Amino acid sequence: MNRLRSIIFCGLALCGVSLCTSGCQPQPQKNGQINQQDNDISMGKLLAVDDTLLQYHQVSKDNRIEFPKDHLPHEGYRIEWWYITANLITSEGESIGIQWTQFRSALSPPDNLAISPKSIWATNQMFMAHAALTTKTKHYSAEKFSRSHPEFAHVCADPFSIYLENWRWQSKTQQPFPATLSVVEPEFAYQLELNSNAQFQLQGDQGFSVKSADAQVASHYYSQPYIEVTGTITREGKTVSVSGDAWLDREWSSQLLTQSQQGWDWFSIRLNQQQTLMIFRLRGQQPSDNFYSARLMLADGTGRNINSAINPSDIDMQPTLWHSQNNTRYPTAWKIDIHSENIHITTQALNPNSEMPLSTTYWEGPIKINGSHTGEGYMELTGY
Amino acid sequence: MTLSLPLISRCLSVFSRHYFKAPIQASAILLGIILAVTLLIGVKATNENAKQSYGAATELLSQRASFYLSNKDQTSLDESAYFALRRAGIPALAVIEGIASDPQGRSWKVTGSDIIAAVSIKPTSNTQTATSSSYAPFKSIPLERLLNGHAAVMMSASVVDKVNALAKGPLVLNDIPLELIAVEENLGLGNNMLADISFAQQLLQMPDQLSYIAVFFQQQTQTLDIDSQKNIVINALEDAGLDSRQIIIDRQDDGESLSALTNSFHLNLDAMSMLAFVVGLFIAYNGVRYSLMKRQKLFIQLLQMGIGRHNLLTALVLEIVLLVVIGSLVGFMMGLQLSQWLQPMVAITLAQIYGAKLLPGLWQWQWFAQGLGLTLFASLAACWPLLIQLSRVPLAQGGQRQAQLIPLENRFKRQAFAACIILGITAVLFSITTQYKLSLLLLGLVTVAIPLLLPMTINVGVKLLLPLMPKGIWHYVVAETKEIIAPLSLAMMAILLALCANISMNTLVGSFEVTLKQWLDTRLHADLYIKPNPDVIPEINAWLQADPKITAIYQQWTTKAKLEIKAHSSVPINLVSRDIYSIKHTTAFKSPTTRSGLFWQQFQQEQTVLISEPLSIKYQLNVGDQIKIDKLHDTLSPTSTTNQTEKTQEFIISGIYFDYGNPIGEVIISPSVWQQYALPLHPISLAVNYQGDSEELQQQLITQQGLSSAHMYSQKGIKDEAIKMFTKTFSITVVLNSLTLLVATIGLFSACIMLTQARLAPLARLYALGVSRTQLRVMVTSQMMLIVLFTCLLALPMGAILGYLLINKVTLQAFGWTIAMLWDWPAYGRIVAIAMISCLVAVALPLYWQTRKPLISSLQQESL
Repeated sequence: MNRLRSIIFCGLALCGVSLCTSGCQPQPQKNGQINQQDNDISMGKLLAVDDTLLQYHQVSKDNRIEFPKDHLPHEGYRIEWWYITANLITSEGESIGIQWTQFRSALSPPDNLAISPKSIWATNQMFMAHAALTTKTKHYSAEKFSRSHPEFAHVCADPFSIYLENWRWQSKTQQPFPATLSVVEPEFAYQLELNSNAQFQLQGDQGFSVKSADAQVASHYYSQPYIEVTGTITREGKTVSVSGDAWLDREWSSQLLTQSQQGWDWFSIRLNQQQTLMIFRLRGQQPSDNFYSARLMLADGTGRNINSAINPSDIDMQPTLWHSQNNTRYPTAWKIDIHSENIHITTQALNPNSEMPLSTTYWEGPIKINGSHTGEGYMELTGY
Repeated sequence: MTLSLPLISRCLSVFSRHYFKAPIQASAILLGIILAVTLLIGVKATNENAKQSYGAATELLSQRASFYLSNKDQTSLDESAYFALRRAGIPALAVIEGIASDPQGRSWKVTGSDIIAAVSIKPTSNTQTATSSSYAPFKSIPLERLLNGHAAVMMSASVVDKVNALAKGPLVLNDIPLELIAVEENLGLGNNMLADISFAQQLLQMPDQLSYIAVFFQQQTQTLDIDSQKNIVINALEDAGLDSRQIIIDRQDDGESLSALTNSFHLNLDAMSMLAFVVGLFIAYNGVRYSLMKRQKLFIQLLQMGIGRHNLLTALVLEIVLLVVIGSLVGFMMGLQLSQWLQPMVAITLAQIYGAKLLPGLWQWQWFAQGLGLTLFASLAACWPLLIQLSRVPLAQGGQRQAQLIPLENRFKRQAFAACIILGITAVLFSITTQYKLSLLLLGLVTVAIPLLLPMTINVGVKLLLPLMPKGIWHYVVAETKEIIAPLSLAMMAILLALCANISMNTLVGSFEVTLKQWLDTRLHADLYIKPNPDVIPEINAWLQADPKITAIYQQWTTKAKLEIKAHSSVPINLVSRDIYSIKHTTAFKSPTTRSGLFWQQFQQEQTVLISEPLSIKYQLNVGDQIKIDKLHDTLSPTSTTNQTEKTQEFIISGIYFDYGNPIGEVIISPSVWQQYALPLHPISLAVNYQGDSEELQQQLITQQGLSSAHMYSQKGIKDEAIKMFTKTFSITVVLNSLTLLVATIGLFSACIMLTQARLAPLARLYALGVSRTQLRVMVTSQMMLIVLFTCLLALPMGAILGYLLINKVTLQAFGWTIAMLWDWPAYGRIVAIAMISCLVAVALPLYWQTRKPLISSLQQESL
């Protein structure tokens, strides 16, 4: 489940929607305490339940994930994303991190405001995309928005493609791989060939991934942690070839966080050739309210789930270093232990200054792993 | 002699006690300054605001564009160009504009855009303030109600209220009932109605079409030169298989062209405000002079007590500075308020004539500093001679009234002489200037000269009247009138100026209205004028041809072009053609006055063109001159505006025609020449004569051709619209003029009050000599009326001269409009009546106060 950050985006858009549906008046505060919380950044609050929430499609354990159908948008759900991170190495041996995400957000519930059939411009779907390129010393990022429109921002089934303007993931078949991923910005660009033969990993219970101890909120979530990458990257006009591994996450839901959840710390880690680990912490108002969840994924498509609702003391995640960027403190180094799996690792950021200064600010960048395992991965920190 | 602070402050406290005793004096000074600064700042704020708006124009809900893409044919642009730009990752915004009509036939301008693109485009430069901080609109716009393609438009909350009041029910445009979505004022929608493109294309019946595309290059791209930036756009279009030659790429010019167009309008406003400022200063000066005169004895007493002349003088200067600061501060605040009130008026004018959008009000402290500085300088300069004169008063003079240094009559003569010299010089200069800025300056000199003539005029008038008066009290009344000319002259000068300005403006406005009406009568010959979306013109044309009740169809082609003036400069013009019958019968020629068959034959077959009067005047082009137009070059080479090396054809100007209210120069070519040069094939508008009621034809076009009534105008409709627009255009000047007259009247009022107070003692003496109160009242009143009457008598010819200059010099040179000057006697009568009445009130009140006072207290005024 990581791409929670998209929640932020969806939260922003939806917040606007809900404010305005109530006549552009500030919503009345139920009590002083909530008022107080307004000053706190709470991802959960951004996704606050509004009147229309239940009119969106709801996640359910009974929904089975099927391919290639579920690679495509689920427009009845409020939020959704296609999310790729990659740990690459240049021909000169330099470590590079790449991120590309396309978020989809529904502006209204599926049956609430009918879309006029008279115009191809008419829609209730909106896209946002983020792209980043991180080196040890530099972090480039960019953002794009658009309504859904087949000409310039859309998801197509055959051949499979996702695009927003000139950022595009283009496959040749209905399957997401093999494909090219290209992003072009004035300061940076990348053109990557993605290939994968591994099975998709369904997170949680057959793709039903809970996000709180009481299972009140959840998402549909699958990943592809085994993607081979070759291609080129361009920084300020200079192009070099790169190769490495990428990771795909797909997630959709109508509500991902409870009101009191503040943000999350999410990791995708390659422990070795055979094992990858997805692990996250959702922060509650008190440390005791934190919710931890992980899945250890094997190259053969199998995996094991661990979460703090079932086994409260199995997962241990502790920040070991705080780094300040633009007046925000981020925990950029961690100690992570999963006792049942004998995983005891520490993580360090490739570039601690990997803040994404976009419409919603968060931290996202490549990491190195040491300890019981040695490897690479990606980390995302939100709500700080 | 050194200055002593304690002595100065002592002086100031004495003065302040004086003003507490005589509040009228202080308030007269303050009133003058406040009124002067109010009008100055009011107009300044209005003007500056408008000028800033031109430069800072942004797309609605979005940023400032770097380039605009539009179709070469002036028809709408296919939306595929927008898709091409977006797919190339070029930040762009699709915009569609058009007119829709409500059931009452009113026209509404509707703008549509890709709203998500509009709000998510980042500022194109660092200098742009984050007023529309990125993404903020995401939170305050109900996107879900706009993007779904249903009938909804956004407006500022205040505009929604106005529209609701006007529509008296749901607003229905082009038969579609609209949901009005009120958004916060700070999103900067102004008076605009903005829809998402998904609905706007339906409402304006322009499916798949755009009006233009705005391109927003970010900083990294902006470092490239203009051609490279253009090439990025051209490549994106070509890559998508589009013909980039069909698309015009215009650079955002920072509002330069709009500023140039509106320059004369703003200069006129500035001139008006300066006039009002001067009138206000007259009042203040009069107040200062009077208060100094009243305190003469006090000053001498202070000097006799040992307060040095320097200290006294410094204290007086400080007093003036203090009054100016207070007055300016109040005036500044009132001025900003005034500008709030004027701005909608200016906005309407600018929008109507120049199509300029105004941003919400801004103001700067610098304006206050400027207003204060100007007032301070003017006040000190005006009062300096008075202060110097005062500082030389011999100590021994004691409480005696100050001896008149120069005999009054000599002073009047000198003033009149100076005025005559100034008028003589301006008369000579006027005959040789062609620049409206110079003319305006000369006009300023004339306005300075006119008041200088006044004292002499009144003096001579009174002298001539004197022998006609019976001996006794009436002879005395007239003779004494001479004595009050000097104290009243300043106030009367202010009134004179205001009257002259009013008369001249009335002459201009009245004359223009008549000229415009006559011109419209010539210009409009058809029953119905149709200007639909360019794409449907051929269809409509064919439909009209087939209708047997249509007796004539007239066509007009228009395109934007550039007139090459000198080697490297060119000016934007409208290149126009009409069917030859229309050109022959609806063009109001300035020259040549008669046109032979040969003239028309040459026009149709040879390389001759007709140009509009504004173009001829602005660039001094005359019949027989040769001109080049960028779009009229050899037909063999493809049309391309960028390639300057192509040989453009030279054309001879064969005629100049009147063109009112059109800020852009115009050139008419014959339809055969139009076709010869491969200009846009289809006419942009049609006009028809119809056997029957044109209403009926309109209905048919609406029902059978799907036209909106907003695209059709009857002849009467156009005339009404033009007159309405004209009235609005001048409303701002008329308002300023009335304000000036009001200021002058207030000035006269305060002068009369002060004068009557000063004359309490002599009047009391007359009363003591046996003149009855009634006689006294009649006497004082008739003296005042006599002076006002003489002022009005002078104002009439002077106003006429000013009006003549305004019409035949300033307006002609600034706008290029020849106007036949007309006299409006009732209007002059009205102005004279206003002056007399305000004067009557101004005299009556102090007289009333005086008659209530006991005789003894009036007599005591003498020794005060």
